[in-house]
Amino acid sequence: MPALTIDGRRIDAPDGSTVIQAAEQAGIFIARYCYHPGLSIAGNCRICLVEVEKNPKLQIACNTPVMEGMVVHTNSGKAEDGRRAVLEFLLANHPLDCPVCDQSGECDLQNFYMNFGLYDPRFEEQKVKKKKAVAIGPHVMLDQERCILCSRCVRFTDEITKTGEFGIFNRGDKAELGLFPGQTLDNAYSANVIDICPVGALTEMDFRFKARVWYLSSAPSVCNGCAQGCNIDVHFVLNRPHLNDGARIMRLKPRYNPDVNQWWMCDEGRFGFGWIDRGRLTKVLHHGVQSAWDEAMAAIASSLPQLRLGVIASAQLTVEELFLIREVFHDAQITASVPEAPGSSDDFLIQADKNPNTLGAAWLGFAQRDIVHDALQGRIDALWVFGHDLAKLFGEETLQELSSKLRLFVYSGTNENPTSSSATWALPAAAYLEKEGTFVNCHGRIQRVRQAFPPLLDSREDWRLLLDLARQINRPRHYRNPQEIFLGLAATEVRFKNLNYEAIGTQGFPLHD
Amino acid sequence: MTLEELEPKAREMIGRYEQPRAAALPLLWLVQDNLGHISSEAEFWIGKQLAMSVAHVRELVSFYTMFRMKPAGRRELRVCTSLPCQLRGARDVLARIETHFKIRPGETTPDGELTLSEVECLCACELAPMAQLDEHFIGPLDGDTLGLLLRGSRIPDPQPFLSTGGPVISSRFRYPDGAWFETYLADGGYQSAGKALLHMTPDQIIEQVSAANLRGLGGAGFPAGRKWSFVPKSSPKPRYLVVNADEGEPGTFKDRYILERDPHALLEGMLIAARAIGSHKAYVYIRGEYIRPARRFARAVEEAYANGWLGKNIQGSSFDLDVVIHRGAGAYICGEETALLTSLEGGKGFPRLKPPFPAISGLFQSPTIVNNVETLACLPFILRHGPERFAALGTLRQGGTRLFSVGGHVSRPGLYEAPAGVSLRELIYNHAQGIRNGQRLKAVIPGGISAKVLTAEEIDVAMDFDSLTAAGTMAGSAGVIVMDESTCMLEALLAASRFFAHESCGQCSPCREGTGWIHRIVRRIWAGKGKPQDLDHLLAIAGDMEGKTICVFADAAAWPVQSYITKFRSEFEEHVHTGRCPASREAVACRP
Repeated sequence: MPALTIDGRRIDAPDGSTVIQAAEQAGIFIARYCYHPGLSIAGNCRICLVEVEKNPKLQIACNTPVMEGMVVHTNSGKAEDGRRAVLEFLLANHPLDCPVCDQSGECDLQNFYMNFGLYDPRFEEQKVKKKKAVAIGPHVMLDQERCILCSRCVRFTDEITKTGEFGIFNRGDKAELGLFPGQTLDNAYSANVIDICPVGALTEMDFRFKARVWYLSSAPSVCNGCAQGCNIDVHFVLNRPHLNDGARIMRLKPRYNPDVNQWWMCDEGRFGFGWIDRGRLTKVLHHGVQSAWDEAMAAIASSLPQLRLGVIASAQLTVEELFLIREVFHDAQITASVPEAPGSSDDFLIQADKNPNTLGAAWLGFAQRDIVHDALQGRIDALWVFGHDLAKLFGEETLQELSSKLRLFVYSGTNENPTSSSATWALPAAAYLEKEGTFVNCHGRIQRVRQAFPPLLDSREDWRLLLDLARQINRPRHYRNPQEIFLGLAATEVRFKNLNYEAIGTQGFPLHD
Repeated sequence: MTLEELEPKAREMIGRYEQPRAAALPLLWLVQDNLGHISSEAEFWIGKQLAMSVAHVRELVSFYTMFRMKPAGRRELRVCTSLPCQLRGARDVLARIETHFKIRPGETTPDGELTLSEVECLCACELAPMAQLDEHFIGPLDGDTLGLLLRGSRIPDPQPFLSTGGPVISSRFRYPDGAWFETYLADGGYQSAGKALLHMTPDQIIEQVSAANLRGLGGAGFPAGRKWSFVPKSSPKPRYLVVNADEGEPGTFKDRYILERDPHALLEGMLIAARAIGSHKAYVYIRGEYIRPARRFARAVEEAYANGWLGKNIQGSSFDLDVVIHRGAGAYICGEETALLTSLEGGKGFPRLKPPFPAISGLFQSPTIVNNVETLACLPFILRHGPERFAALGTLRQGGTRLFSVGGHVSRPGLYEAPAGVSLRELIYNHAQGIRNGQRLKAVIPGGISAKVLTAEEIDVAMDFDSLTAAGTMAGSAGVIVMDESTCMLEALLAASRFFAHESCGQCSPCREGTGWIHRIVRRIWAGKGKPQDLDHLLAIAGDMEGKTICVFADAAAWPVQSYITKFRSEFEEHVHTGRCPASREAVACRP
């Protein structure tokens, strides 16, 4: 392990690492455009120039291997001058259309200019004209003039998706990023190029002009789109209802997790958040008529003891909620599995199982059971459905038959659907981004979802309503929040033994069979 | 001809390479040569043949200037306007051609007969002002020749001056149609290769070449023997010899003559080098415009195979060597050795990050030595006459002679073999017979357009690598561009800066943006719209480009700016402040 000095600090860096990695490890940030830890080294942007003693020329930190005794300066006059020069070249033909650029506020041309530039511009020539605002696929807009040709996106489509859509055509200052004419960028991971684009060349169609990024709040979470459980950041705005028609979520971004999704996420997961702000069930309904939580809970609690109950839980619920279901409904017939057709999958991130917590449900002992069949056969007379739309799963007719046969039909879910309107009681549930909890992904990794913002209007977290119900049916559980529920289950469930939220942390914790 | 019909040929081409993608340029040439241009359909077809995305095929088509996406005329006229041709009237030649055919560069005559283009240096500055008509280099396009061209008459083969007296390389240049196998053999050829293969160890060869002080004559001047010694002695990977015949440095035209007139000398040198580094496969990367040189060299390769000097078990030595000729397609940067390797592997000519160096990981990630044509052509002499004799021809640290390409305003442009340490004055005044029309010398670029300019007072300098470095410039490719007192240095810088802006590969930000920026400022001054701060800005931009990129192209682009402006500052200032050209006799702007 070579020891080197960067900005006067001694650093032991792993063999084979580079100066930029060694610096990062020591908390010293070296500016970069083309360097991305998930991609091959291109070394073309030259912004990461540093001074290495005994070397007459500045060296690029991204491709300079660490060596024993190496002395590196990232902030010497020479290094600063090098960065300033590179920045001025990068901005020479840049259109400087920041006022109308979605990247403003998270643009590394802006950031580095403020940090390392601050020169008086000398470029007085006609800038090279290229194409602007080109929709190159369902999710991505290209602005060739803003592009600094760092080739991150080219390397992404070459090395990660291996789809090869991008090319840099022509040469010299006529070089431009593009696709072969007539082709589109529509692979399953296309929007990642927006994240890795350090400037405003590749921007998101969906997010286009919706909000300035400095109005965004961010919360870490986990995508619920499939069993992979890609780590995400949720970007949202709560106090500016004039933006985005009042929808809170603006966009999802992948959050780095080396063991789950690295830097990436699929487009389906990224853009699959519309249901959280639209089509929500926001009021308690009794036979389709607005009611209230107190009424609903009292009525359900009073009728439950006389009924044979079946519960269709869901692998969309958190481990904590599934645990409570098992506790509270211990004398009912319970399942979490419904006959869902497998979705699309690949050998990268996308899993055919579109539920984020299937393994969690299995580990809590949720067995396969055809509860709908039981209900139709009259073996149960009350049914509680968490989240699922039975019309979609079993057909409208079956739903109507159930609705007429059952003495009590409770639906708790996030969105309006035929099931919510057919149920005796429809209870508005919080979406996964509105609550705390954990999911176990298909590789046995337990990960936390975090409350980005409170439940919408009257909706409530399922764990909260379950605790409320437990109290009303005289099976109280003395938990106050998901963390306490988790500690409770960690005390009894061997697979989660001795685990707590702190140990799970932001990157999850691997559990094994 | 259809794409389907090309498939058998395509498969054969792919079979020559270790990786299919390396056949990208050959396939693009196959399509263009047979179908006239490269259609979108053909791009998809090539992508399919090579398992490469069509976007990457388009990258190549758009990067290499010789590929065209639209049909061209029946004949193609490529007029060189690079500095050496510009000095000898290329602008007027182009203007006359435009007027005569009523087309501009990039256009085709309405009858589909002729496509005109304006190109950077074709490395035939001894013919300046010159052009390429289909595969033929024609020039000088003054008076009669231009008339013949405009009338469509047959143009006789040019007869420029070139050394034929050796001692090292030029003696067989006396055969205008080339020294073919029998001639070469009768002249003592292949004796050195035989010695190397049958009687010498690789280490002995390296020792001799090092003792001869042979330097890399492509321009970098790195000791050849030392370069070879970097190749790992034991490696599970194959080792490659790559010949850099991508001659492109404006002002230089030496390798073309070796390929055309003495191709077996190169082949023999390749055998010696291959033996020294343990390589059994050699690639010869020849610039795309060198059609006749490539054809002649290919003929020599065939002869060598037929006579047992290539292939398996050469001359019973149990040493094998196969040679593949690879054609470039119009990109100066591919003369940079790592860009050449990237290009050879089927990419745009992007220079590579170092480390790793090619000797460790070069072509197809295997140990590779890239040597220039002239460097290799010196090897037979060294092994035949001994390193001492070669070393004695040159200076203390650079043995042998060099082929000096002398062009511009000299009385007798040509290719001169002279000792490595010959003085610049001697080259200009003795060899090239002084400045034409009795004019006075103003400035000389001693080593190709990348080298810093010397003033008339600075020509008492030896032309070897070390002396010219000490003089603040470089020997480079030994392309000597001579400028007389009528030369406008701003116009010279315009040509140089246009060249670098045109040829920057665009990979590194400082070079991509800097070369274009410099060119635009120079063009603006030239158009009479200079600003007082321009000269200082030019120097600052050039300084900012230096030493900050993957290869030295950006440095090479900076040096003309720095040296022309510094050494001829008052002339530039007059341009800026008056908008007029002091060099022009009429004392008006050098260009309207």
